[in-house]
Amino acid sequence: MKLATVWLTDFRNYEQLEINLDEGFTAVLGPNGAGKSNLLESLALLATLKSFRRAPTDSLVRKGADRAIVRATGIRDDREVLIELELAKGRTRAQVNRQPLKRTRDLLGALRVTVFGPDDLALVKEGPSVRREYIDDLIVALDPPADAVLSDLDRILKQRNALLRQMSGSGDEASLLTLDIWDDKLAAAGEHLTIRRENLLVDLMPLATESYRVLSNTEVDVVAFYNRSWDTEHMAEAVADSRANDQRRGTTSVGPHRDDIVVTVDGFDSRTECSQGEQRTLALALRLAGHRLLAERLGESPLLLLDDVLSELDPDRARALLNSLPPGQTVITSAQGLPPDTVPDQVLEHRGDRLEVVKMNDLD
Amino acid sequence: MSAYAKPVEVLIDELGRLPGIGPKSAQRIAFHLLKADRVDAQRLADAVVELKEKVAFCETCFNVAEGDECTICGDPRREQHVLCVVEEPKDIAALEKTGAFNGRYHVLLGAINPLEGIGPEQIKMRELALRVAQDDITEVIICTNPNLEGETTAAFIANKILAPFEVKVTRLASGLPVGGDLEYADELTLGRALEGRQAL
Ligand SMILES: [Zn+2]
Repeated sequence: MKLATVWLTDFRNYEQLEINLDEGFTAVLGPNGAGKSNLLESLALLATLKSFRRAPTDSLVRKGADRAIVRATGIRDDREVLIELELAKGRTRAQVNRQPLKRTRDLLGALRVTVFGPDDLALVKEGPSVRREYIDDLIVALDPPADAVLSDLDRILKQRNALLRQMSGSGDEASLLTLDIWDDKLAAAGEHLTIRRENLLVDLMPLATESYRVLSNTEVDVVAFYNRSWDTEHMAEAVADSRANDQRRGTTSVGPHRDDIVVTVDGFDSRTECSQGEQRTLALALRLAGHRLLAERLGESPLLLLDDVLSELDPDRARALLNSLPPGQTVITSAQGLPPDTVPDQVLEHRGDRLEVVKMNDLD
Repeated sequence: MSAYAKPVEVLIDELGRLPGIGPKSAQRIAFHLLKADRVDAQRLADAVVELKEKVAFCETCFNVAEGDECTICGDPRREQHVLCVVEEPKDIAALEKTGAFNGRYHVLLGAINPLEGIGPEQIKMRELALRVAQDDITEVIICTNPNLEGETTAAFIANKILAPFEVKVTRLASGLPVGGDLEYADELTLGRALEGRQAL
């Protein structure tokens, strides 16, 4: 789906805003603090209902207002789609074509989005949980019902850990028998998710290599290793082996929640052996790879949102990025303008309190 | 310091203990009752008292019952040897509406849920084992809710409780909304699920 018109009411710094988005490449320019990222955040919300800056809903509502509205029309398969969000303290409501959604999951699929922001360096530099989340988000974007696997696993871990703590090291017969059942559930869901993650990485890494090569103008290989927290043939054996240990510590030591994904660039561990510049390029390449995989599998390019990406890249890489943007609708923010040879289809510029259209595609 | 007269405060406090009722709703209900006719308020009070005086759990299946035995356990036309295991008495009401089941029930009064401190000992699991041993049960249909806790409870019954017995164990067939409650499934879906139950 491509977004056509977006309306914001009392969203962050915007009291009222109406913009028409081009189907291609839109650049949003203006000084820092003008609200460029806020605009991108509202577009991402339309797809995921979550702030990509991890901001609580309260902070999305303009000061002094009690709710924010984000509305957008878009075109999908030649039909108009209307997405409406109402954000208020502790409550988010979403409607697609005036039909209220029962679950967040139901929104996935209406509009798909890939976001790359300054915080994405964490994808390479931080601990394993960020990379696990990156893979899991892609799994769900490709197959929304997989969301149930993730939430089940999360709940299994909570239940199993609660039981382990209640048993406090020993446990009566009933608790031990119950633990058997939770172990079965953990092993089944855990092994399933592990295999899905590994399969996804296999499909993803050639695309990451390709993106990295284009951005850096080099011939390096990007390879990912999925490090399981267990090494038996099936996870059930590992869960059984770790039971005594888990009982002593009151926590679950094997499973997808303890796995890591190590990404190497030409054999160097990206987390510890690459420069900051290489790490930034890799983080961007990983996002673009996910974006391209979604586009290939779903037959439709997600909306690509690049928040303040140019300031973090050297001029060559910035130019390489803009000249190799994947097809589809793209919105990019920049406080420093664009490289001279870039030709966006549309430029929106913050001037004072207003967001103005300063250039539309001349080809129309 | 209390803002209201003591009886109002007490009522708000009591209502707030009920499931699904937060402080705001408790306050609203309390003031609604304050304004209501004396007769209406009395009728509600009587209904609560009568519930506790006259209705209890069936001694056999733990369904709600007036007296020691529920109407289903007391009905000689119901099949004696087939048991349907549910989490709550309200699930019986949902299954009865389908008319697809003519056996008897066993209500666990809960599901295995360590986060809430509920293990097999806290629900009517031991009683289920006793019934299967004593009543010549030939088939047990497990109709716990299609969510994680319900599935775990079902696995516990099938793998642990019923393992020593020669009894056919089936699980309500899929088609039910995952992550849901039996009581929200419509009659047709539930009836079909009963007919399509699968051996475990
Ligand atoms: Zn009974």
